[in-house]
Amino acid sequence: MPVVLFISVFLIAACGLIYELIAGTLASYLLGDSVLQFSTVIGSYLFAMGVGSYLSRYIRTGLVTQFVYIELMVGVVGGFSSSALFLAFAYTQGFRLLLYVVVIAVGILVGLEIPLLMRILQSRLEFSELVAHVLTFDYLGALGASLLFPIILVPKLGMVRSAILFGIVNAGVALWSTWIFKDQLRGRTLLRGGCAAVLVLLGAGMAFADYISSAADNSLYADEVIFARNTRYQRIVLTRWKDDLRLFLSSHLQFSSRDEYRYHEALVHPGLAALPGARRVLVLGGGDGLALREILKYLTVESITLVDLDPEMTQLFKTHPLLSRLNGGSFSAPRVHVINWDAFAWLDTNQEFFDFVVVDFPDPTNYSLGKLYTTAFYRLLAKHLSRSGTFVVQSTSPLFARQSYWCIANTIEAAGLKTFPYHVYVPSFGEWGFVLAGRDAYDPPRQLPSALRFLTVANVPELFHFPADMQRIPAEANRLNDQVLVRYYEREWKEIAR
Amino acid sequence: MHGRRVFLSAALVGLTAKGGRRVEGSFLDDGLPTGHRLTDRGRSGRPITRVPVVIVGAGVAGLCAAWRLRKRGFRDFVVLEMHAEAGGNSRSAENEVSGYPLAAHYVPVPNRESTLVRELFDEFGVMRDGKVDERYLCFAPQERLFLHGRWQEGLEPEIAVSARDREQYRRFDDRIREFRATRQFTIPIDAGARASELDRLTMAAWLDREKFDSPYLRWYVDYACRDDYGARAWDASAWAGIHYFAGREHEDKGPVTWPEGNGWLVRELMKRVGEHVRTGATVHAISPNGSRLRVLAGNADYEAELVIFAAPTFLAPHIVEGAPSAHDFVYSPWVTANLTLDRPPRERGSEPAWDNVVYDSPSLGYVVATHMTLRTRVDRTVWTWYQALADGDPAQNRRMMLGADWRHFAEYILRDLERAHPDIRECVSRIDVLRIGHAMARPIPGFLTSESRRRWASLSGRVLYANSDLSGLSIFEEAQHRGVRAADRALAILGRA
Repeated sequence: MPVVLFISVFLIAACGLIYELIAGTLASYLLGDSVLQFSTVIGSYLFAMGVGSYLSRYIRTGLVTQFVYIELMVGVVGGFSSSALFLAFAYTQGFRLLLYVVVIAVGILVGLEIPLLMRILQSRLEFSELVAHVLTFDYLGALGASLLFPIILVPKLGMVRSAILFGIVNAGVALWSTWIFKDQLRGRTLLRGGCAAVLVLLGAGMAFADYISSAADNSLYADEVIFARNTRYQRIVLTRWKDDLRLFLSSHLQFSSRDEYRYHEALVHPGLAALPGARRVLVLGGGDGLALREILKYLTVESITLVDLDPEMTQLFKTHPLLSRLNGGSFSAPRVHVINWDAFAWLDTNQEFFDFVVVDFPDPTNYSLGKLYTTAFYRLLAKHLSRSGTFVVQSTSPLFARQSYWCIANTIEAAGLKTFPYHVYVPSFGEWGFVLAGRDAYDPPRQLPSALRFLTVANVPELFHFPADMQRIPAEANRLNDQVLVRYYEREWKEIAR
Repeated sequence: MHGRRVFLSAALVGLTAKGGRRVEGSFLDDGLPTGHRLTDRGRSGRPITRVPVVIVGAGVAGLCAAWRLRKRGFRDFVVLEMHAEAGGNSRSAENEVSGYPLAAHYVPVPNRESTLVRELFDEFGVMRDGKVDERYLCFAPQERLFLHGRWQEGLEPEIAVSARDREQYRRFDDRIREFRATRQFTIPIDAGARASELDRLTMAAWLDREKFDSPYLRWYVDYACRDDYGARAWDASAWAGIHYFAGREHEDKGPVTWPEGNGWLVRELMKRVGEHVRTGATVHAISPNGSRLRVLAGNADYEAELVIFAAPTFLAPHIVEGAPSAHDFVYSPWVTANLTLDRPPRERGSEPAWDNVVYDSPSLGYVVATHMTLRTRVDRTVWTWYQALADGDPAQNRRMMLGADWRHFAEYILRDLERAHPDIRECVSRIDVLRIGHAMARPIPGFLTSESRRRWASLSGRVLYANSDLSGLSIFEEAQHRGVRAADRALAILGRA
């Protein structure tokens, strides 16, 4: 008989620790700064347990009934804790609040468990025996949970299922208690019915876990978040997994440090290396400074102006040690001038000319961003080009968003320019497209800066060949008053997501 | 009636009652007091300025008459305007956030036959090679509708619309295409309009006759009548109601608009004719004096050979000696309001558009001044909110409008917007309300063939009437057309043709 009892102590101890680990992990996962998150989660959890232990003195009668209720409550709150937190993060602003509400609620309930159990067992064992055994199994449970969590639960089950599984364990202990303590218990049928209902609820949660995860998935990241900030303009999230740094702007992947060199070399060099006389270069967008890094390889370029909307973004990439290492400290180069301003409005209000312009905006996911891909925009941009100047536009994927890609090329042509579309394979993005544009014919460069990792003089012309599944298809030009591109883009990426 | 009842009950609730922030604002100078002082005849016996042509009213009709005179090399005229600013219904204002329209806010992409609008647009750089510059065409998305708890793109109801409704949309479009093909629904209307039995029906009666009973379609048609004519579908002439749809054949997605609405056109016009315009000059009386006309204005008197009367025609019997009664002109009172928002409000559904309409609201929704910005992101903005007081007797509505205080209007407007934007009270910092007693002529059945209208518009005698109300449709193109015609007639009479 006692062994059976101690197994339930082991189980509820494990459950309690699992909920705490889930809360801590989710917090550092989603908010970043794991030291801060784990410290505050563990601290408030232990404090809440203390509150629970203190409150246990007010439970005087019906100890077993109360114990069963508490187990059921822990099962439901803890079991659905990670589902609720994921959804709160994805859809509300209240993640942090919910996090601490859950941590404190579970903490108080778990804090009630052991004192109650010890009082229930009081009559069956010597006090010294009781304390020794209960605490032994309590700590054993904690050890088991802390080993199980990283090795099996997170990789095999994931956060949502792990929490629900342990909710089921809590409810199972509750049900089991109605047999173990049947002589101390009245109204058993009702309690068992309650247990069954909670088990069914959790079981259903388990069955729908996939839906919950995928509903929350859009705003989640696979790797550890090392920086996250909501600026006036966007949400900047930086994740790291081993040596791979990834930047997400409002949940859209911008680069992976493992292969961004492919993207940025392809963005800059086919155009710029073909203009040996280029002195003045403009970058629109590109607040990560990675295009700047490539442009700075041309010693003949005298001045580089970068116009990016978000001052916090350019400041971050100037000062963060990991990020400024990645862009080679490009923001500190004396040739670089940063202007934090809306690119379209900036072009509209000044008269400067440039030999080469890099247009590296976020994809046209809405009508506001879509303005930056219109005939009006490219016409205005062309007015800032020197006589033989060219510009290059990051133009989404010609494979996944084929009509969107060719729509951008057609739009630039409708603005009266010649286009030279090309593409490159970037593993973290897939096939990616660019459109180079200018007034004259294009000759591929005869020389490239030294020490490039991806491009060679020989393979630049190959980028301009499109295999059958990416070749030009009809698309209208994108205009300020009729943004077909936003509609193409939405439709095509929706098809991919399906 | 429904609209007015809501209007009156709004005042019972304080503006900050729902825990929102304090909203500031006031009535704009809307000329209502001055307008009514017109009936007191002015004094005489002051020095008199002799000038061949006096234009009364610096709204679009008056300014376009002036524009035409100048283009034809004639400079001997003044334009007298009772308000402190020129522009009439096309006035605009500006605050630290943006320029914004007080009332009129767009011109449709001109049809081929709208040659005068094309000429003006070419001159102002709005059109080039027969195409409107992309920057002046309303940016996408142009319109959206709040329906069943969320915003949808476009004004034609889409959400929860049945196959039957869609069939009626299609049939309605077909009918409109047929009407367009008759080439009778032109802008300006003088170019094509012929007497029509449609002008003897109301728009609602025509919908009944054609068996259009889809509530969504009928809402849309009624919205159009309120929007362009300040009238309900059961008050507007069917000819006018059909003209709203059949009068335009868009090649480009439009309309043509600017942050400050048609105030942009007024500014361009003023660059060219501003030196002739005297603001704050209320004309009290125009009377024959030998072969000339004596014009008594607030601060100066004029002796003219001709007067182009471009102010609303209903004022003429009070001012022009011997003018006939104008009681068969019906005018709709309007309320417009400029709301300054410090942040975008919460909402569900499609992205913010330029024109935002709430289904089944007595208002016409709002236009967003910052929509026509090249910037990708704006935090603060100005909305212009509109409501035609289309239900019931216009005179009674005008009295009600003048009787209510500012707080009342502000509360009414916030409640209207709250349906689509629950936290609107926390976003708005200022509401300026403009009450326009005689905002636009209402094309009631019979207006097209009205003998009185024809007489007023005949350009005979020495007072030439030019307001757009003579077309029955208060639109920019009609005002320009009337102004230009009056100017041409004036030059002909003066022997300058």
